[in-house]
Amino acid sequence: MTRLGLGGLALLIGAGTLAGETSRGFRQLLDAVVRIDVREYAYEAGAKRFQSGVGSGVIVSADGLILTNAHVVGPRAVEINVTLANLERVSAELVGWDHWTDLALLRLDPDEIARKDHQFAVARFGVSTRLEPGETVYAVGTPHGLTRTVTRGIISNPRRFFADSRGVKGYETGQFNTWLQTDAAINPGNSGGPLVTANGRIVGINSRGYSGADNLGFAIPSATAKQVMEGLARHGKITRSYVGIVPGALRDLEEFYELELNRGMLINSVDPGSPAAEAGLRGGDILLAIDGVPVDGRFPEQLPPIKHLIASRPLGSELIFSIKRSDTTQDYRLVTEELVSRVGDESVVEVWGLSIREVSRPYARENQLPNEDGVLVIGVQRGFPAAVAGLSTGDVITKINDRPIRTIIDVVQAAENYQEAPQQVLVEARRKFRVSLYVLKP
Amino acid sequence: MIPQFRPLLAATAALLISLGRADLPDYPAMLEERLASVVAVEFAIEHEMDRTVNFAFGLVIDQAGTVILESGAISDRATPDQLVDFKVYRPGEPSTQYSRAEYIGQDGYTTWHFIRVAPEGRHRLRPITDFAAADPARLPRMAEPVWGIGLRQKDEDFEPYFLQSRISMIQRLPQLTGIALQGVAGRGCPVFNAAGEFVGIGASGFGQRMMIYSQRRRGEMSVLLNPDEAAGFRLASEVLSAVGRIPTNPFGRPLPWFGIDGIDPVTPEVAEFLGLGSAAGLVVSEVLPGSPAETGGLLPRDIIIAIDGRPLPRLKPDQVVAAHLMREILKRQPGDVISFTILREQLELELPVELGDAPKTPQESERRYFEDLGVTVRETVFSDVVARREDPSVLSGVIVHFVKPSSPVDTAGVQGDDWVKEINGTPVESYAQALELLEEAERSGRPELVLLVSRGGETAVMRAKIDS
Repeated sequence: MTRLGLGGLALLIGAGTLAGETSRGFRQLLDAVVRIDVREYAYEAGAKRFQSGVGSGVIVSADGLILTNAHVVGPRAVEINVTLANLERVSAELVGWDHWTDLALLRLDPDEIARKDHQFAVARFGVSTRLEPGETVYAVGTPHGLTRTVTRGIISNPRRFFADSRGVKGYETGQFNTWLQTDAAINPGNSGGPLVTANGRIVGINSRGYSGADNLGFAIPSATAKQVMEGLARHGKITRSYVGIVPGALRDLEEFYELELNRGMLINSVDPGSPAAEAGLRGGDILLAIDGVPVDGRFPEQLPPIKHLIASRPLGSELIFSIKRSDTTQDYRLVTEELVSRVGDESVVEVWGLSIREVSRPYARENQLPNEDGVLVIGVQRGFPAAVAGLSTGDVITKINDRPIRTIIDVVQAAENYQEAPQQVLVEARRKFRVSLYVLKP
Repeated sequence: MIPQFRPLLAATAALLISLGRADLPDYPAMLEERLASVVAVEFAIEHEMDRTVNFAFGLVIDQAGTVILESGAISDRATPDQLVDFKVYRPGEPSTQYSRAEYIGQDGYTTWHFIRVAPEGRHRLRPITDFAAADPARLPRMAEPVWGIGLRQKDEDFEPYFLQSRISMIQRLPQLTGIALQGVAGRGCPVFNAAGEFVGIGASGFGQRMMIYSQRRRGEMSVLLNPDEAAGFRLASEVLSAVGRIPTNPFGRPLPWFGIDGIDPVTPEVAEFLGLGSAAGLVVSEVLPGSPAETGGLLPRDIIIAIDGRPLPRLKPDQVVAAHLMREILKRQPGDVISFTILREQLELELPVELGDAPKTPQESERRYFEDLGVTVRETVFSDVVARREDPSVLSGVIVHFVKPSSPVDTAGVQGDDWVKEINGTPVESYAQALELLEEAERSGRPELVLLVSRGGETAVMRAKIDS
């Protein structure tokens, strides 16, 4: 009885205050967490517009590198202000971003730091791969602008799989990593802040919560964050290889395909024109091994690491896929291409009130367009020539006057000509599979 | 004071009545006589799991008991095999009395559905042609008074009632259509002029934009449509053309085929830019592989500006011009040659095209319901493959027509309109083969059915667990 009571007391003390080593580590972490204020532009509705947002981040190196979310700071940021733990404000610049893992890396302005002699702490990483469900974790950040808020919870699931095709500012996210799920309160503004253990070690970067649900928060595991951080620091971006397969879990299909358990991955679909299609792969094939190394994609949670394995190969490298189709197993050689986002480069033609975006390979494929030619309309401004003529979001401009349109530069050039000598312009565009003509008038 | 006025009031009333007698046509008598051309039609559509009962009003067009129903009266998705239990009621008579009828088919050009009343029910019917004007092609004039017949629902014995209005405008949509000031006939019921001559058939409500104010909502714009009474009606000449177009088969074959897709009318601004003046033009988005249009030399992005030397009329709204082109084609026969004048790269070209025979439509495709699996599949036809952006010269696989809720196939994630490419690992080359494979799946006692399904250009393997 006595021992049990003492144990209970000890536990209470443990949870109530952070003692010794733990407390030092946690305080150091708190001094490394920052608030991030961002101003960025967007090409919405046929005009260049600015918007601002608030997020969190954590300093991870002595030279001022800050990890945050890609949905907090992206390439369109024009002004990034970081509030340090000592409440001083420093400007920062974007080193690189990776929407697939929802991570971005910033660097504090070194001159400003040196000039004003700002002090800050550097957080240390923990080991996210060893997290167990039920383990206590803390989220630190700036929810709803409330600087340096700490919330507590547990790891609800250390390996959650989800992917969102528009999750980060309309960009794809979540194909190549699993996520940590926690019940620590994560609110808007927590994004980019660290998820830490009691000793203040980063095990995740808080990224999102389920809206409308209670205490379902998600963080990028620190194992992924460390890799991406190194890549961004070195190259400014993460380059991934693409072969063009849509993987599926094999669960419940092992018998049908006559496979031994825990062997192989289902290929649900093969993108037309992709390296996999060129090599002769098709939907319903089973991938048994890559370069002789067996693959196990029995459960959905096992797919991101396999995708990551393919993605992390250098561009243009040759992969040998051992494929089982009906009763035969055969090797196929695939040469990887660069993975690109569905979201292409964007621009705006303000004289026409027209926001445009490059038609990317994935966009063309998703929308069953014949090729990547043309430029996608992503917004029009009411009362401006494009809107008046009838162009609208989703149209793909294929021709202006007699000139075929392949890239946004073609449209920008046509607009420049128009601006010099305004006269009627004939625009050909596709809406879904219908070709329509429009006249833009001065 | 009041008694003094009495004689005067009485005199006025008498005057009004006598005036009415002299000038007003005898509407009750005319309505009674013309009611013999109007019937209420009840029929059922048999689905995989249930049947739905439908009602429509029809017009008798000949002595042989042929009745036309508007195209919207029967769902596009229903096949002729599914249409059963046609019952024809006479307006105002007890709904326990009815005649049987059979479905004849739909005419591709007029889009009317045709049914035929069984012989014992025909003797009291009169064709609408009995009331046709001497010159049915004469258009009613703006502001002319018109009246028509409405029918109540079955629980009121389809009791007829009188409607009256005036012509507000006449439009080509592209069918000649009269617009009345308000509802002037039930949908499918006839409209007459003051002399009792047949002038049209109630087609649809005329959408009126209205602002709705209520305690909750302030000034919300809505379109009001009267589902029972039509203010828009097809003019008599459109209806009477149906008399000579009674289909000889349910699908109204032969159906002429041109083979272009995505016909987009140019706006007046574009027409002007292209130098078409006040004429209309139609952009051809796609020329289907293997079609007469392709053989005839049409290319995507060609702009059709004339048919057989006649410039396309400038009909409003713009979209009507495309419907006009389709009707020009559909009123012809396979083998007929149409000459299209097109604009290509600013050059005018004359392209004669021999119309072909339309490929099998999804409605005509064969289908079968597999109850244990919970799925109806149908054969893949030309338009299915075109819609899925693949090569229509190969009609492989089968199309999922129906998925029974909570059935094995539903649980597996299969949806209507999915394209099944493989069944249990075997590529499906034909409809017959798909039937064999699915029969075997039902019979074999195998615990699962594995399908490779294509949706939106992407494939996926789906596994249905079969209860044994």
